[in-house]
Amino acid sequence: MDLNSIYFIAKKEMMDNVRNLWIIVITIIFAILTIAMSALGSIFSDEWQGLGMTVALMMSIVQLLVPIIALMLGYAAIVKEIENGSMNTLISLPVKRMEIILGKFLGLGGVLSFTILVGFGLAGIVIGIMVPDVNYVEYLVFIGATILMGIVYLTVALFFSTLFKKRSAALGGAIFLWFFFNMILPVILLGIAFAGASITDIMSGNAPEWYYAVQLVNPMTVYSTLVTLSFGSMPTAMATPQLQYPEFYTSGLMVLILFIWIIGFLSLSYWRFYKRDI
Amino acid sequence: MTSKTVKCPKCKNETTITGKPGEKTQIICPKCNSKGVFTFPIENTESKTTTDSFTIEVNNLTKKYNNFKAVDNVSFNVKSGEIFGFLGPNGAGKTTAIKAILGLIQTDTGQIKINGIDIKEDEKQAKKHVGYLPEKVAFYNNLTALQNMHFYAEMKNVPKTECKPLIIEMGLEDAVNKKVGKFSKGMQQRLGMAQALLGNPPILILDEPSGGLDPRGVALIRDKIREMKNKGSSVFVSSHILAEVQAVCDSVGIINKGVLVAEDTLENLRDRLNLKPKLVMELEKVSDEIINSVKKLEGVEKVDVLGVMLHVICNPRAKSKIILAAEKAGGNILNIQTMEPSLEEVFMKFTEG
Repeated sequence: MDLNSIYFIAKKEMMDNVRNLWIIVITIIFAILTIAMSALGSIFSDEWQGLGMTVALMMSIVQLLVPIIALMLGYAAIVKEIENGSMNTLISLPVKRMEIILGKFLGLGGVLSFTILVGFGLAGIVIGIMVPDVNYVEYLVFIGATILMGIVYLTVALFFSTLFKKRSAALGGAIFLWFFFNMILPVILLGIAFAGASITDIMSGNAPEWYYAVQLVNPMTVYSTLVTLSFGSMPTAMATPQLQYPEFYTSGLMVLILFIWIIGFLSLSYWRFYKRDI
Repeated sequence: MTSKTVKCPKCKNETTITGKPGEKTQIICPKCNSKGVFTFPIENTESKTTTDSFTIEVNNLTKKYNNFKAVDNVSFNVKSGEIFGFLGPNGAGKTTAIKAILGLIQTDTGQIKINGIDIKEDEKQAKKHVGYLPEKVAFYNNLTALQNMHFYAEMKNVPKTECKPLIIEMGLEDAVNKKVGKFSKGMQQRLGMAQALLGNPPILILDEPSGGLDPRGVALIRDKIREMKNKGSSVFVSSHILAEVQAVCDSVGIINKGVLVAEDTLENLRDRLNLKPKLVMELEKVSDEIINSVKKLEGVEKVDVLGVMLHVICNPRAKSKIILAAEKAGGNILNIQTMEPSLEEVFMKFTEG
């Protein structure tokens, strides 16, 4: 494997996408939303909300938006080039398909990370100026976890873009996926959990371990658990009571699960792309 | 006769023996007297000569899409330094064969070597020798022509300074810093050729290079093909237009319905086919006298009459004599047309056997 080829493809992928205006628009939307969340908090209290509170408020928006951005970035990565023909030239160059997949993954991952980092980073700085006593370390963990979650969706989208013959089909697949992870899977998993344990048992952490284990099938749950774990006793202004986690819910395990998703779908993408006729 | 140095497995003593390829010899080690048998290798001497003179070797290539054989047991070789025309009607399997050579598609059977390197064994090394212009040229639309070329130069490990002169050579000096998304089909084709020429590759594979080009663009590509040949490169050109290939190629392969029906030099092929151009004359009135006087002429092979049209298959040099003879016999010629043998005729000849 040639690191140079991977780097050149990643660089080209970043340039090609940054020149797309929408990625800059998304970054600005992130920053504005985060700042707005914090400023809106002043309706409930006298001043702007701190970062911890803002993150708690932001979580639901992030859980909807970040997967959408990741899927939009990734769904066409391979299929677009096959459909319009530039893949013919790309593969004719002295390059291996493994290098193409890794280059695309790193380039798009870079764009995604940059968007999240700059969007939330800018907001963090603004909030930091307005609010005293800010814990930046936790906020950075939140950003890092969000990037990791975004990359999970990116690799799933990348796999879809190697799977379908048409760009439109890959887009359809990506939209279905978003629905599945955000709407369908949580209902299924909750159904499984509630089938055998009472709500109070689950909330207080007294349900059997496998109920909690099953919940980790959803990468979104893994992500929110990771963020909640790092903020510890997160201030909850909302009516939802604090969920008690079982002992095996550790930050390390959450990170590991997200990495397994990434490596798993990256391997699947390569396997599909390797066998594919261009 | 070849000579070979062999090592005694027992005492490691080396001796040189001579023999014919394929010959079995008994060896007795002069030092420790142990006996052994040595067979002279056959392939070694032969394969060396083939890999030296062929730059693209395709053996028994078959590619199926579901049950449809797009390419059926095709074998051909492109000699070093020649321009090879790959001819066939649309959908004959030309692009499929080219894609197989470059490893774009998985093949069902067959072996492909580029400069002696098996594409399946070391695709990266094999592809280093090739410049390729695909049938469907496309670039990264958000990047400029120069940025696109820089990317390809990086991937090919070619100095970036080559990029701009190549873009200008292909007639795109006004579009160097324009986004490729705004390019016309012809401009993309020109940029595609510039991309293929990056790094002066020893092998150039061009799939329908004149597609989407105006006559000036076609001439430019033709010049480039000849220029690359003069530099010592081998050029593989696919086309569905015989005249286009005729103008530049040393030898041709003809593919029809996935099967290679002919592979020869252009001259041999022309002789074998005995293809002659056709002279078509539109007359005011056709008479037996005119037909007979034309038929009598030297170089005339066949005269067909279709209404007031006279179709004469003849030697190209006989054309003016035919016209004169027709007029002398009282014919009033309204229109004259020459028809070159079409590729379809070639296929008819070959497929009819």
